[in-house]
Amino acid sequence: MVQERRILYEHLDVPNINTFDVFRQYEGYTRFEKAIAEYQPEEIAQMVWDAGLKGRGGAGFSTGEKWSFVPRDIEPRYLCCNADESEPGTFSNRYVLEKNPHLLIEGILICCYAMGIETTYVYIRGEFTLGKKMLDTAIKEAYEQGYLGENVRDTGLNINIYSHPGAGAYICGEETGLIESLEGKRGQPRNKPPFPAVQGVFMKPTVVQNVETLCNLPFIVGNGVEWYTQMGPTYGDTRFDPPKADPNTGTKLYCISGDVNEPGVYELELGLTSTELIEVAGGLRGEEVKAVIPGGSSAPILTHYELDTRLDFTSLTLAKSMLGSGGIIVMNETRNIVDCLLNIMKFYAHESCGQCTPCRWGTPWVRDIVQRIADGEGRQTTITRPKFGVTESGRWGDTGETEEIYEDLDLLENVANNIANVDTMTWNTICVFGIAVSWPAVSYMRKFRPEFEAAIREGKLVTLPVAEATVPPEENYAYQQRFIPKEFADL
Amino acid sequence: MSDEIIQIETPFQFNEENKREFDELIGRYPVKEAAMLPTLHLAQRQEGYITPAVMKYVAELLELSVMKVKDVVTFYPMFFEEPVGKYVIRVCHTLPCALRDCKVVLDHLKEKLSTDVASETNLAKGTTDDGKFTLMKVECLASCDVAPVIMVNDDLYKNLTPEKVDEILEQLPN
Ligand SMILES: Cc1cc2nc3c(=O)[nH]c(=O)nc-3n(C[C@H](O)[C@H](O)[C@H](O)COP(=O)(O)O)c2cc1C
Ligand code: SF4
Ligand code: FES
Repeated sequence: MVQERRILYEHLDVPNINTFDVFRQYEGYTRFEKAIAEYQPEEIAQMVWDAGLKGRGGAGFSTGEKWSFVPRDIEPRYLCCNADESEPGTFSNRYVLEKNPHLLIEGILICCYAMGIETTYVYIRGEFTLGKKMLDTAIKEAYEQGYLGENVRDTGLNINIYSHPGAGAYICGEETGLIESLEGKRGQPRNKPPFPAVQGVFMKPTVVQNVETLCNLPFIVGNGVEWYTQMGPTYGDTRFDPPKADPNTGTKLYCISGDVNEPGVYELELGLTSTELIEVAGGLRGEEVKAVIPGGSSAPILTHYELDTRLDFTSLTLAKSMLGSGGIIVMNETRNIVDCLLNIMKFYAHESCGQCTPCRWGTPWVRDIVQRIADGEGRQTTITRPKFGVTESGRWGDTGETEEIYEDLDLLENVANNIANVDTMTWNTICVFGIAVSWPAVSYMRKFRPEFEAAIREGKLVTLPVAEATVPPEENYAYQQRFIPKEFADL
Repeated sequence: MSDEIIQIETPFQFNEENKREFDELIGRYPVKEAAMLPTLHLAQRQEGYITPAVMKYVAELLELSVMKVKDVVTFYPMFFEEPVGKYVIRVCHTLPCALRDCKVVLDHLKEKLSTDVASETNLAKGTTDDGKFTLMKVECLASCDVAPVIMVNDDLYKNLTPEKVDEILEQLPN
């Protein structure tokens, strides 16, 4: 059985770890002290790059690489800590804020030192009243102890941290939406480029980093790169010669919810499978796994055929899904996928910021189609038409077969793909919220098509047995990764 | 909306404590506008909801047009432009909570409070006649491990059942 590997969460349950004195007893702030005593700022940035740390907030972008885009000659530079945590199924940042806020402060200090940043804003979602209170108290203590403010610990560094409350909009988790919101405007994402690293908050270079990402920094500095890279798999990308290292290092705070016996946050090394994770979380509640959402509601769904896909950044990208925020939602055999999709589409229709027409109109449209299917009023046309697909000659075209049309399913895929096309990975919108809409919409529909068809045919929601509800991988392009070659291998 | 058109019956002003907090806040940002969200939160806590007078006051404090403030207020679901009950009950209804029967909790609350669910444009619909409660549905509250959850004002309640909901409602002071 897989063991938990608690690093970020190691001292989470120590009584009063939220106070400076207790945190200090558990090596608190010693890693920051080590950083300023032993390393130059550039060396820290290099260590973070070498450690292979990838952002834990959603995009999984290499943190060291992101830092390298920040122009060091423009002053001032800012750090925005993304504590907006609103991706359905994600709840790991909340515990850090409520129980161990000093760890986040230490991570912020290391980042500020490495990047020469003096001001940090922690954007906390508005509903986290307790989390904000705990963080504010911890910040106050850190000021009193001389770890924040002017001339930190007599090093000549000035570092300030301010918490900033959001007000209930999901889109403010998107980094440029967050920046707009922080500037006191509507949280509507900006066009990129310029990226925040070059022109972010108040039009200055800005590092936007998730809470969990920042909490990794003390451990990279404290225990060294070598120690850190031993956790989790490193793959070799064989599109390059020699294969380019593709690190999935460190631990991940997997948030697991839905049909498991002991939902919660489990800190494990990256790279275990869904089956293993469900086992760690007390086993399945129910008979059979029907589906697993691997990375918050935006991630394409995995079927029971894919339970041995490793839950790390690279493996899930190859499986045409994503690790995202690490919010894993498990569904057992009693769940109806149409119903689940309806729930998620209601969420997105509510949260679109309204700037781009495809997203503003398309998302409620997708919701309405799914609603119609769930209500038993899905539209079906019974004519048959030539089936398009990969022909014998290996090209896309008329296969010579015929298929029955379910008008609403075609429409669903069409509308979703016109917000953001999941096959070509191109989007007609300002931010990738568009992908977050069409990814679930299209993947649920393609992978659990029999259940959608049944709902339309029977005029009501029908929950099929798992085996019948799922389209097997061999027959379906929903599973295949078309544009990234498959020949990744373990180094 | 120019400033003259808004009918303001009683002007709004921060009380001592909030004024002090605002003065501290404003120093954190290189531009005043950035203090918008925290300032609106302070104002809403004092006044209960964002009235036109509040918007005018905030606009003056931050040296913006009232329109700009209104623009922001309408964007964020946590700011109310209508009166709400003393206790705002937020019921999470996103997927993980739905998988754990949040609907039972919601239906129970509806019946118990004999009210409908508020919508963002019609808060009165979900407010009880005595003005004690406002019932609304919200999206994931980042507590899916302890689903289903509700928030009553600032407090989160976990692993709910109808019985637990009854207990919570009973121990709320009038
Ligand atoms: C619609 C949308 C919502 C997002 N929500 C969050 C969020 O709640 N928390 C978060 O940390 N990142 C969120 N992100 C990802 C951020 O844009 C950004 O990639 C991240 O904060 C960068 O930090 P990291 O590199 O440390 O992950 C979201 C992205 C999108 C497109
Ligand atoms: S894609 Fe949607 S959420 Fe993103 S900017 Fe456009 S309208 Fe807003
Ligand atoms: S879905 Fe209810 S807390 Fe996440």
